[in-house]
Amino acid sequence: MNSIPVLTIENVASLDGILADFLKKAEAELTVIIDRGGNAISQFGDVAVMDVTIIAALAAGSFAATRELARRIGEVEFNALYHQGNGSHIFMNSVDDDTIMITVFGSRTTVGLVRFYSAATSQAISTLLKSLQGAEVEGFRFDPTDVSATPIFADR
Amino acid sequence: MSIINYASREIQFKIVYYGPALCGKTTNLAYIHERISPSNRGDLVSLATAADRTLFFDFLPLNAVVIKGFVTKFQLYTVPGQVIYNATRQLVLRSVDGVVFVADSQWEKMEENVESFRNLEENLTQQNLAIDEIPYVLQYNKRDLANTAPINYLEFLLNNRKKRVQSFEVVSSTGQNVFASLNAISQMLLHKFSKEGEAAPPGTEPPPVAIPIEPNGAAQSANSR
Repeated sequence: MNSIPVLTIENVASLDGILADFLKKAEAELTVIIDRGGNAISQFGDVAVMDVTIIAALAAGSFAATRELARRIGEVEFNALYHQGNGSHIFMNSVDDDTIMITVFGSRTTVGLVRFYSAATSQAISTLLKSLQGAEVEGFRFDPTDVSATPIFADR
Repeated sequence: MSIINYASREIQFKIVYYGPALCGKTTNLAYIHERISPSNRGDLVSLATAADRTLFFDFLPLNAVVIKGFVTKFQLYTVPGQVIYNATRQLVLRSVDGVVFVADSQWEKMEENVESFRNLEENLTQQNLAIDEIPYVLQYNKRDLANTAPINYLEFLLNNRKKRVQSFEVVSSTGQNVFASLNAISQMLLHKFSKEGEAAPPGTEPPPVAIPIEPNGAAQSANSR
């Protein structure tokens, strides 16, 4: 039977705890944990100003694209990517085979500080996500009656 | 793979529009973006060349119905259709939940349609997915052109597997049946994750022929813009 993998409120609280600690230490604006398919798993920080869904999709694409570049110089992939802007910058690092961590930061901090703290943070997230995989949490399923037969999207 | 977040009360699904070069995948997303209520969609992101050919992917996030307090989010992607970009197609297919296969109805595109469908099957296999295991629908696009192959022939070429799927006659440039096919794949995804675990709503087997274009209603809707 098909079911959707679940992140419980407790799981998200644990993740948020790690991310909040990271943001405070690194003095960054926003951090997002995504899977390599481009889905946002969890986010923390100033999310109101940015569309996290789009950042997640583009970051997953960016990471995947540079993987081929890494192969050309004999690497499996680049562990981290840094995009430098004038005022805002993005740092991305690999958490595990399925997960990426994205950090958006401004002039309050430096890429060195973000890189330094993100290493330990991605380790902690990797450990947490591994522990979730082993946990016996029943996946989520809709009740068939919840899914109405009416069209989901309407053409205006 | 979709994931549910109990804290933000969201469920995400990934739908990929797949098909040969210039078959109308990006046009599908552009039409949906233009016509859907702005409160239910994000920006349409296109990573394209200067000549408007898809280089990496197009991306359109949509918010849909709320089920039991959970917002369902559908993320629509297109792949680059050109043969040389297969590595990119594999990347975009990662964690896919459902597929809309867009075929070009013009006679001279039949070989490319079949080749693209085979390519889809191969790329899914690389992710340990079989085409029959994931929900998908077929679009026979460009039905407004003069040199189109008959629907029966397209069905024979592309919808001739053991399990027949829902198929649609489509004109993506005017939006005819674009929303019908989006709604079909979205419903299939929701039903796949319902307790009955069926990819299609019970009792709604695909009709024996492709869903035709409704000339009056759809044309009016397109003209009312």
